[in-house]
Amino acid sequence: MLELDKLVNLIHEGLTSAMPEMAWLVSLIEYVLIGVAFLAVYCVLALVLIYVERKVCAFFQCRIGPNRVGPFGIFQSIADMVKILLKEIIAITKTDNVLFKLAPFIVLTGSLCTFGALPFGKGLQGIDFNVGVFYLLAISSLGVVGILLAGWASNNKYTLIGAMRSGAQLVSYELSASISILTMVILAGSMQLSTIVEKQADAWFIFQAPLPAFIAFVIYLIAGHAETNRGPFDLPEAESELTAGYHTEYSGIQFGFFYLAEYLNMFIIAGIATTIFLGGWQPFHINAEWASGFNSIMDYIPSWLWFFAKVFALVFLSLWVRWSFPRLRIDQLLKLEWKILMPISLINMLVMAVWVLIF
Amino acid sequence: MIQYFKDLFNGIVNLLKGMYITMLNFCRPKVTEQYPENRGKKVYAERFRGELIMPHNEKNEHKCTACGICQMNCPNGTIRIETKQITTEDGKSKKVLDKYFYDLASCTFCGLCSMNCPQKAIVWTNNFEHSVFTREAMRIQLNKEGSKVEEKKAVTSKE
Amino acid sequence: MKKINDIISSVNSALTVEDCQYPTINVPVEQLKNVAKKLFENGYDFLINLTGMDYKDSLGVIYHISSSVDKNAMVVLKTTTDNRENPVIPTVSDIWESANLYEREVYDFFGIRFINHPDMRRIFLRQDWNGYPFRKDYDSNPELNPVPLENQTIEAMEDVPTLTVNKDGDLVANSKPLFGKQEYVINIGPQHPATHGVLHLRVSLDGEIINKVDPNFGYIHRGIEKMCETKTYPQILQLTERLDYLSGTMNRHAFCLCVEKAMGLEVPARAQAVRVIFDELTRIASHLLGWGCTCMDMGSITAFIYGMRDREKIMDIFEETGGGRLMVGYNVIGGVANDVSPKFVDQVKEFIPYMRKMIKEYHTLFTYNPIARGRMENIGFLTKEQAVALGTTGPVGRASGWSCDVRKIEPYAGYDKLDFEEVIRTEGGTLDRYLIRLDEIEQSLRIIEQLINNLPEGDFKAKTPAIIKLPAGEYYQRVENARGDFGVYINSTGEKNPYRVKFRSPCMTLISALDPLCKNEKIADLIMIGASLDYVIPCADR
Repeated sequence: MLELDKLVNLIHEGLTSAMPEMAWLVSLIEYVLIGVAFLAVYCVLALVLIYVERKVCAFFQCRIGPNRVGPFGIFQSIADMVKILLKEIIAITKTDNVLFKLAPFIVLTGSLCTFGALPFGKGLQGIDFNVGVFYLLAISSLGVVGILLAGWASNNKYTLIGAMRSGAQLVSYELSASISILTMVILAGSMQLSTIVEKQADAWFIFQAPLPAFIAFVIYLIAGHAETNRGPFDLPEAESELTAGYHTEYSGIQFGFFYLAEYLNMFIIAGIATTIFLGGWQPFHINAEWASGFNSIMDYIPSWLWFFAKVFALVFLSLWVRWSFPRLRIDQLLKLEWKILMPISLINMLVMAVWVLIF
Repeated sequence: MIQYFKDLFNGIVNLLKGMYITMLNFCRPKVTEQYPENRGKKVYAERFRGELIMPHNEKNEHKCTACGICQMNCPNGTIRIETKQITTEDGKSKKVLDKYFYDLASCTFCGLCSMNCPQKAIVWTNNFEHSVFTREAMRIQLNKEGSKVEEKKAVTSKE
Repeated sequence: MKKINDIISSVNSALTVEDCQYPTINVPVEQLKNVAKKLFENGYDFLINLTGMDYKDSLGVIYHISSSVDKNAMVVLKTTTDNRENPVIPTVSDIWESANLYEREVYDFFGIRFINHPDMRRIFLRQDWNGYPFRKDYDSNPELNPVPLENQTIEAMEDVPTLTVNKDGDLVANSKPLFGKQEYVINIGPQHPATHGVLHLRVSLDGEIINKVDPNFGYIHRGIEKMCETKTYPQILQLTERLDYLSGTMNRHAFCLCVEKAMGLEVPARAQAVRVIFDELTRIASHLLGWGCTCMDMGSITAFIYGMRDREKIMDIFEETGGGRLMVGYNVIGGVANDVSPKFVDQVKEFIPYMRKMIKEYHTLFTYNPIARGRMENIGFLTKEQAVALGTTGPVGRASGWSCDVRKIEPYAGYDKLDFEEVIRTEGGTLDRYLIRLDEIEQSLRIIEQLINNLPEGDFKAKTPAIIKLPAGEYYQRVENARGDFGVYINSTGEKNPYRVKFRSPCMTLISALDPLCKNEKIADLIMIGASLDYVIPCADR
């Protein structure tokens, strides 16, 4: 009923019937439209996430949070965005100018590319590779190059330490994040995101193989959390030691790009977790005879709403963790990865393989 | 090996307990003061030292006899008293207060002036909204234009 | 007294012990080193305070020395030098490590150079400052020291002058650089979120590992001790609160006690009880902020806000009765400024159970959190010997197992009649320093509970003369503030202004502990060890 795939198909049919002999133009217009739509959703989501984060954080801290701009402060992040757009970009001497200016774009590009591959709803997927999972893993680690560049090019001791920490952190946590996703790939038998989602129509993966899937889910959340440099893993920008870490020297919209990417990465990690573990846009179904009524009620809820509801639940969890725990030290961070998460996820992968063989 | 899993388990339990505390506070009433909105509604402590004032009665009279004790006691030279000589009705020459200057900008709100005032002519209010646009605006004259010393008090203090 | 006599006469029979407030010995400069060594060997291992003096015709130094074993033992050494042009005194920093910073302060303010002192830089003022401001003949003409428009050069900050004696007995001035050319030195502060004020740390790093920490003071130096010399005693009170603003009430209490002791004034029982309640509430407030800051420095901002939220309740109690929040201004000479507010007792009674409940929550939220424990365990150990040598009193000293609570050693304001425990831990690690504060809150609540239930009736203030003049002499008062042993030294010549006032700042010694504690730890730990020491910079800078 409220599915957006019909709208997409409508646009497609409309365009083809209007210009039947110019298929290349239709494709071009569609590409541009999709690109613009993704950028718009990206920015709007960032604004929403910033508002949500500030409000949730305030509530955890017994505060009210933004409440001056608009009712309940909902226009606060728009006001912030306008401010950040109008701010002067301070040119710093003695920086590596090209790299310094390039770094925020790399960070942003990395997260935008990942964002494009997420299946938001039935028929709402920008690109559907047959190696979608691989693509996600590969492109989401692109961001760290930007962070390393930012730290190096700023020519500042704090940023350098921040960037080095970020590099160490990403290289290690990428590992257990990948392994836990691969665990699920074993179960799904496919690396294509659309196939993975379809296979969860009856029951989400986390219910299909409760034990190994759940462990992989938790590990992925922790590792993903660490990859976004947030929560207890925000060492690269540990404000008590490094003032602001790798983006200390950035101002104006350049800083805005980092900010945008950071919040969207939080969404992306939650999105990947939703797609792979929580059934993506698939509604919640109980796989039994008596529950067919319940299942059809669930089907009435549009698929994109399911996706966003699950993602925001995971985002809330991530905020909850972030605002509850202190920060780890660099050696503890690495210890957690190499001594705890990594062995567990390796064993977990074996367990999953056995599970798939048996059932 | 058993210790490893024990520690892991304990760690997770304690992490969850910590998350429980934050969730508890998530649901608690919030403590933020909504400042400009609660103006006039919030009760401030009576003794709060916000700003020095010189109360005047309805006949535009204050109690200050310009003795200068407050000026002497002030650690920062916040108070400056200007006096003038007037002739009273019965022909005596008398020193009275002309201008009572109070520099809010250099006041540390220690309260020595009001504590030592023999006439209780200066008191504290709990007005804390001091922001003004110029420094000059912080130099306040406490006695109103054309105000006089309250006669009755002046007589009792003479006796 | 007899013990001191024996010790002193064993060094030199010509020296005599005067019986003042504490046993006082006038030592000639040549004998100083021997006497100091002898005292140290006989258990006087805690140099409380070191005061520079200008006696107009001569310059001098006063040492207040106590012991970590025999806690009531206290001895005062005085030494003077007539040479005002180039005064030199042998250092005692090789005997008592805490003298290191104190002597730098004396050099900065009085120009006395200390022979064999490892680091004779100025401590608060810029290295290119002209004159020594605490000398009575100091020329304060602004043209001599115009407002500098340029930064100090790094070389000036890091060039360490020393004064040594060569083989022929001549004084030789040397200098050496503080850091090597190849060292990776980063600035933490003065504008930095985690230095709790404007402290400037130059930290030499090897990757993430710290080699050396060099604290730079003076960014908030206001010359409070010098200001005191021109103000009357009641006027000084408001300055004491601005030293360590988190234990302002206790500092003010210390100064009031010192003046009252000099005047021989009896404080009414009610005033005393209210003062103690205020002191303990301030201690709780300070520890809450200290707890919150420790958590925030570890990245847990939520915990910081919880600490601030509960501290606000104490601030409200202060505002209701004292009229101020941070600078309460409630203690005055002879008692308290006005009687407690009618709401006071109820407010305090309501606060005690609330605080107890909250402490449990703090423990659940943070103390037992495995991440927090991992951060705090096994780093930053301060042994008892180190603590005594550095003079780190207060919760930091007690965490190292040194019983140094002035409330127990030299009870004041009726603390001897109260039932409370001195919380002592043994390890001396960061976790102990963190835990001891929460335990002390518990003890403070106990003290308040005992007093609030039977607040004595009577006057709240003793009668004092209109103009307060102290009889000529020297007075010293120790008070346990939230950070340790806070001392007030007043030298009066019988005027309405003091001749010299010196505040023994517990924070300065705490900062001096940063370097030994942080060596070979990680940069993230520097912040946390700093937070666990819980220093307040305006107290160190004065």
